[in-house]
Amino acid sequence: MRGSGTLRHFSTQLAVIGSGIAGFAASIFALNRKIAVAQVGNTGALAYTTGYLDLIGRRDGASVADPWQALASLRELEPKHPLCRVNAADIGQAFTEFTDFLGACGLAYSAPGTGNITALTPAGTLKQTLCVPATMAAGPRALAANAPCVIVDFKGLKGFSGAELAANLRARWPQLTTQRIGFPGMARGEIYPEVMARALEVAATREQLAAALNAIAGSAKLIGVPAILGMHRPDQVRAELERLTGREIFEIPTMPPSVPGIRLRELMQQVLPQQGVSLIPQQRVTALSFEGDGATLALCDAFGPIRVHAQAVILATGRFLSGGLEAHAAGIREHLLDLPVTQPAGRSDWYRARYTDWRGHPINRAGIEVDDSFRPLTGTGRCHHERLFAAGVILAHQDWIRGRSGAGIAIATAFKAVTEAERFLAGRQAAFPGTPPAQCH
Amino acid sequence: MSSDASTLETEVLIIGGGVTGAGVMRDLALRGIHSLLIDKRDLCAGASGGNHGLLHSGARYVSTDPDAAIECRKENALLKRLAPQCIETAGGLFVAVEGDDPQFADRFPALCRHAGIECEELAPAEARRLEPVLSEKLFKAYRVPDATIDPFHLAMLNVDHARLLNGSFYRPHTELLRFEIAAGEIRAAICHDHLHQRQLTIRARQFVNAGGAWAMNIARLAGCTDVHLLYSKGTILVSNDRLAQRVINRLRPPGDGDILVPGGTVSLLGTTSTRVEDLEQLAPTAEEIDRNIREGAAMIPALAGARYIRAFSRVRPLLQTSGTTDRAATRGFALLDHASQGMDNFCTITGGKLTTFRLMAEKAVDLVARRLGNDRAGLTATLPLPDDAASSWADPAAAQKRWHHDRDPDDMILCECEMVPQSAIEQVFANSPDIEKERTIELIALRTRAGKGPCQGSFCGIRIGSYLYDSGYYRDATGLAHMRDFLDERFKGQRSVIWGPQAAQMELAEALHCGLLGLDTLEDE
Amino acid sequence: MAESAIASINFKAAALELLPEGANFEACLSCGLCSSGCPASGMENMDPRKFIRMALLGMDEELSTTPWIWCCTLCKRCQYVCPMSIDVSQLVFLARGNWPEDRKPSGIVRSCQLATSSDSTSAMGMPPADFVAVVEEVLEEVRATQPDFQHLQAPIDKRGAHFFVNQNSREPMNEPEEMVPLWKIFDVVGADWTYASKGWAAENFCMFSGNEDAWREVVRKRVDAVNQLGCEVWLNTECGHSYYSMWQGIARFGLEANFRLESIVTYYAQWIREGKLPVDARWNTQGIKFTVQDPCMIVRKAYGDAIAEDMRFVVRTLVGEENFVDMQPNRSANYCCGGGGGFLQAGMTEQRRAYGKRKFDQIAATGAAYVLTPCHNCHSQMHDIGRFYGGHYGVVHLWTLICLSLGILGKNERIYLGPELRG
Repeated sequence: MRGSGTLRHFSTQLAVIGSGIAGFAASIFALNRKIAVAQVGNTGALAYTTGYLDLIGRRDGASVADPWQALASLRELEPKHPLCRVNAADIGQAFTEFTDFLGACGLAYSAPGTGNITALTPAGTLKQTLCVPATMAAGPRALAANAPCVIVDFKGLKGFSGAELAANLRARWPQLTTQRIGFPGMARGEIYPEVMARALEVAATREQLAAALNAIAGSAKLIGVPAILGMHRPDQVRAELERLTGREIFEIPTMPPSVPGIRLRELMQQVLPQQGVSLIPQQRVTALSFEGDGATLALCDAFGPIRVHAQAVILATGRFLSGGLEAHAAGIREHLLDLPVTQPAGRSDWYRARYTDWRGHPINRAGIEVDDSFRPLTGTGRCHHERLFAAGVILAHQDWIRGRSGAGIAIATAFKAVTEAERFLAGRQAAFPGTPPAQCH
Repeated sequence: MSSDASTLETEVLIIGGGVTGAGVMRDLALRGIHSLLIDKRDLCAGASGGNHGLLHSGARYVSTDPDAAIECRKENALLKRLAPQCIETAGGLFVAVEGDDPQFADRFPALCRHAGIECEELAPAEARRLEPVLSEKLFKAYRVPDATIDPFHLAMLNVDHARLLNGSFYRPHTELLRFEIAAGEIRAAICHDHLHQRQLTIRARQFVNAGGAWAMNIARLAGCTDVHLLYSKGTILVSNDRLAQRVINRLRPPGDGDILVPGGTVSLLGTTSTRVEDLEQLAPTAEEIDRNIREGAAMIPALAGARYIRAFSRVRPLLQTSGTTDRAATRGFALLDHASQGMDNFCTITGGKLTTFRLMAEKAVDLVARRLGNDRAGLTATLPLPDDAASSWADPAAAQKRWHHDRDPDDMILCECEMVPQSAIEQVFANSPDIEKERTIELIALRTRAGKGPCQGSFCGIRIGSYLYDSGYYRDATGLAHMRDFLDERFKGQRSVIWGPQAAQMELAEALHCGLLGLDTLEDE
Repeated sequence: MAESAIASINFKAAALELLPEGANFEACLSCGLCSSGCPASGMENMDPRKFIRMALLGMDEELSTTPWIWCCTLCKRCQYVCPMSIDVSQLVFLARGNWPEDRKPSGIVRSCQLATSSDSTSAMGMPPADFVAVVEEVLEEVRATQPDFQHLQAPIDKRGAHFFVNQNSREPMNEPEEMVPLWKIFDVVGADWTYASKGWAAENFCMFSGNEDAWREVVRKRVDAVNQLGCEVWLNTECGHSYYSMWQGIARFGLEANFRLESIVTYYAQWIREGKLPVDARWNTQGIKFTVQDPCMIVRKAYGDAIAEDMRFVVRTLVGEENFVDMQPNRSANYCCGGGGGFLQAGMTEQRRAYGKRKFDQIAATGAAYVLTPCHNCHSQMHDIGRFYGGHYGVVHLWTLICLSLGILGKNERIYLGPELRG
């Protein structure tokens, strides 16, 4: 057959491989810098994110109130930590650019502040995070003020229990109560937050929910709900529900499959192409090669093979969940280029004896090495290629889970990688370079 | 029974909640004798739960231990008749692959015949048709009447039946600390109740040590030094799904990685055998895992790339006889009447194997009943084991089908991997008055299939916890601690096989449990 | 007569064979994103995650017999949102094929039988001669009644024409005047096109019935028809699964096709960009709002977002940027409407409408007065759920709006337009 299924070519300045927070952040930073960008990668894992954007939430098993101070002390003790290789001002700017972008696209976030926000979890535990979506902001405020508040949960929604939240927050928040209601139009069987959120995009559903909320809220002026306040227009959905109930309403994250991650994924998939990013979501790059004049990414979508030609590449493929790293019985490998992975000596050393050990597992600190320009290194300590940069949690020497720093590492290192890539691209373009381009050494 | 909650009385105290202890409990009850069964952890926490779940045809022992083979053959036939609800008559194959000793393979049918075990030769092509996972390098295959048995289900049904018969009861998390001994008799067992963190005195007329690998230590608490056990550590892997329909044995003298046993919806690959001195803190080593897979893959190549979700190690108690290797050591059992040690109301039943648990229990109860002046004959060889609905949630071959057939969309599935709904939890609690007050997620997981699938409890642990908060059982942070403990416990079994998709699963789990919920920081809350 | 028994499939073995390593059922993390994003979740107590788990748990009998496989529309959204890219639809397709013909939903089976019973390959059983007659009759009528189109052409079996144009049977059977707008568009751009008396039909319910032999037979007849006429391009008109069944069928059955497969949407966009189709939004003086429905069969399952962008370009041009409201989610992430996969023909009205509730909500959230879609099944389903759930939107083909914008839409070509646009 001729025609369909033939090889398609894209050309761009910067190719971003990976569609997690790091990958999307990189595309946003590139857009802001007028760099032509193509982004490729399965966005599945992005759907697991909670909506909170952590910078540093914990250090050495202790809760962190001031992430910037924690960052300063991290610099002393863990200089190889990826966050320590980006200066604090850049990290601040990166968060600001990232949240501003989301806000401009209709997903408002609190601006990065000088301290962490004490945010709620569905277990009724608390978590330190830097930025929260506007839909979730009232929760931490209400907690701090011990305001009378009712947590509403839903018949048929598994794994979100108002009773659990209230039981575990009682000591700190005695004014917290809980109620269970049915979701309009979903009387029987299991219901998913995603389905509820989409239903709330419709005015009629909002009106019915508002009536149900009013019926049980009593004197409480605040209502906490699982994260279901719309998928595409959460800020409007919340505002509308607040208007209809005359109460302040906030969301609490839920366990996967949860709305905030899907929201982010759909937003990015929609907005980035509108802004000029060549986004090829849901497909994995199968090969990356470098020629004299650029890099070539090979991949395949349902329609057929694709080649992306780029002047520079950012590798933001994540860890095991997103496929950037692969754990084999014989050792951990980097998936795309087989870059050397810094890792524990043997498989027996990957995990500690206790799963919830606060120190975290050594395997979490495995990852690839980069030079000061965030270029991945080969086994001999040279950079793999002058056109290749890396960002996100694929980088070694960090435990984003125990450090509560996943978004922070993703956003900060993406910023750094894009800055370095920009410098490289500028150097290539300039006939008479003012400053020499970063050298690969 | 005493009204003082810290002192309990019974006719017979059975120490050790493995299948043997549970079997002793039922056998006693059938003879009208009241008993109390205790375990320092919970049912089948030792070798009873830490084996393949193979109901031996006996064929595995024809070359090394013909007597044990005959014993197995008889008990196999008996249990298939009396406890069919715990058994899958999967059938078994013995297969030889390139490199295996053809002479051993040729001798095998005669050895089986000698032990009275059915053995039918299959053409290699026929064997591969029956089990497509078998290696192309297979050159000899025999069919034997191996089956599988679910030890948890079996133990639960034995305990339940005893309770129904005469109110005998079972206490988990009750650890024996010492005996009160006077005038050549044990008067009481002083125990620690781990759930309530208090001491408990149990008075009884007879004491049965069914401690399995711990039997030697328990006997010594009573000053008895006539129990001699060797400890053999065995490591077994559990695959994500069922790779073969039948039990597949390597046709060679027993060795590492030579048996793959279906366990309902999964397969179990084993077993390494290493002599150890220590009974506690056992964990599979990477070397043992790799060895099992390497050896197993010679027989079933797919084992090399399979997704494993768990691996565990347990100690098998082997009766010590001089000059033999662990593999050749007797798989028979021993009943030790400690009268010779000056202890007239104490005995130890140990050794043996899952397949012969009923016989072991019967022999022990014959002795205990005689001592109590009870001359009623044992009934376990003739009376079928009654069924009950709650226990079948533990059955890996049936549990997942129940929800689908009941078709109640409001009965939320809490464990998606194994399809365990809310109603299963309610039934488990309703059926277990002894433990009613002790709802832990671990307890639910032991009595249902919850947490046994690929996510290993990472999602259902949270959903079950939330459900128990909703139902008012948890009212404070205890529920979170139970979630954490459950996940920590599941992790022990996962730790040595986290690679491939399991590493992705673990990253997602940690991000959820620690990154979001903060279960790694409960202490400072 | 007693119903035939449904044989049991070994789903795990089948998945191992059909799905790539790393995206197999084995790779499932049990996270539930698939089920969360599937409108058929909960129907028949099933969902995509349960399907995977039940396969791995060996519940082959239950999976082999569950009627849920006829509620799943094979839309592949579960695969799209899965971090592991696990494709459940291939196994659902296998299960469909495994049902005895007398147990399958009779509407799908009948549509397939009709398609294989004539050279037309029409699922409504319209024979070649009837099709030719209807086309000629309608053409005569247009020439006679619309002075601007006295010269209009609708060639049949024109050897060597550039485009071999397919036609959904619904128009010639039930609403023949709906064929005319497309003819006019071809006329405006000066396309060299032809219908064929054989293999002209678009629909292929044999694929949905899981009957591979019949699917192949239908595709083969169409391929032969195009090859015989020596056309350069097989042009799929506004019918989603037509494209997918032909495209996949040719590859799956190794058929030799000496032509390209293209979608009319691509050409609408191209002709507008080239100025051949001088459409604009000036007609939309009332600021009527429009949204579009991305058919799974040409967007997520075939071309990807590229064709969705073409469609948006066309629609924005047609209705005005400010009058276009995208439904959410959209493009490759869009939900199936619930009319796909043969659901409309399966006779399971209650389930189909329950499935369609999510589409209805999507449309309702846009507040649009019209949904545009280049797919007949989408069209019918959205029309039906709109009425069922009390919606106030219309469903329109792109060809209607193009001709409306060009000022060449005949009075009797406006059946899907509301009173404000009937003119």
